[in-house]
Amino acid sequence: MKIFCIIAAYNEEKNIAKVVKGVKPLVFEAVVVNDCSSDNTQKLAKDAGATIINHPINRGQGAALQTGNEYALKSGADIIVHFDGDDQFLAEEIKDMIDPIISKRADIVFGSRFLGKEANFPFFKKHIIYPLAQLFTRFVLGIKLSDPQCGFRALNRKAAKHITIENREMAHNSEIQAKAFASDLKIEEVPITVIYHGFGQKLSGGFKIIKDLFINKLSK
Amino acid sequence: MLPQQIIAILIILVFVYQLTKQKKRKEIGINEYGLWLTLWTIAGLAIIFLKQIDTLLASIGLSASAINFLIYLSVLVLFYFVFKMRLTISKLDRNLTKLTRVVGLKEAEKEKENMEAEEDIKE
Repeated sequence: MKIFCIIAAYNEEKNIAKVVKGVKPLVFEAVVVNDCSSDNTQKLAKDAGATIINHPINRGQGAALQTGNEYALKSGADIIVHFDGDDQFLAEEIKDMIDPIISKRADIVFGSRFLGKEANFPFFKKHIIYPLAQLFTRFVLGIKLSDPQCGFRALNRKAAKHITIENREMAHNSEIQAKAFASDLKIEEVPITVIYHGFGQKLSGGFKIIKDLFINKLSK
Repeated sequence: MLPQQIIAILIILVFVYQLTKQKKRKEIGINEYGLWLTLWTIAGLAIIFLKQIDTLLASIGLSASAINFLIYLSVLVLFYFVFKMRLTISKLDRNLTKLTRVVGLKEAEKEKENMEAEEDIKE
């Protein structure tokens, strides 16, 4: 079974080698989409054994993941795993993520940081940002998932073909979830571990996601 | 005619002159030229017939003066254009992403072919 791991990376020289080395033994091909990094991300990822796709212009995480999806589909991927390049997820949990797909229980699997596994959330994120994001995704987008913004997910070929990521920045998380729920794809959530090395996305980022989703909808 | 009206008309004439120059240089299409020319003509006529617009508005029971009405209308039109521009930029942005993707994927494919060729030579 051909499992591709897509890692969207922008200036991730601190972590990318570790991430690629962790992921590579567990998948058929580790693909780093280097989103026009100005540091050594490309070289370090290549030396660690990843396939590199370079974006000549910085386009954002959503765009990089869609590039990775298209590459993987063209290369005959059966399962595509999306994984962050900042070393906040555990590579060994990839097998938990793909298990529902292999056993044909799901077409798309979303990781969740809220289902009991270790997660060292910053206080403001846990108690303010995520509850607000959850309310928005549940009542506006109709998504019934415990984690509204998790970047760790796995898709089978059918799901990857069905879902084209159009939001080039961080709104892609909500977009993928919304498209999965609007389709006949079988969905499952799996608990994952998350280790934050920084605060990550701020509240302003949340408002930007809502604005991007809105503009994207209108400009079609 | 009031001096303010004359100044406003002159400003509009400058804009129309610029617009015509852009059309001659083929920087804008006939549709866009027509749209802007219509808008400036309406604005010019509204300025010339300010008093008549005032009378018309009063006759239909609106208390705002003609100039206020024109300002409100202008703000609405500006909002509309800002919004349209935003949508256009968003479409351009999407096209740029597609182009970036095509370039990235092509280079990756080329690199893969080169590596396979090198391996074949080694064998």
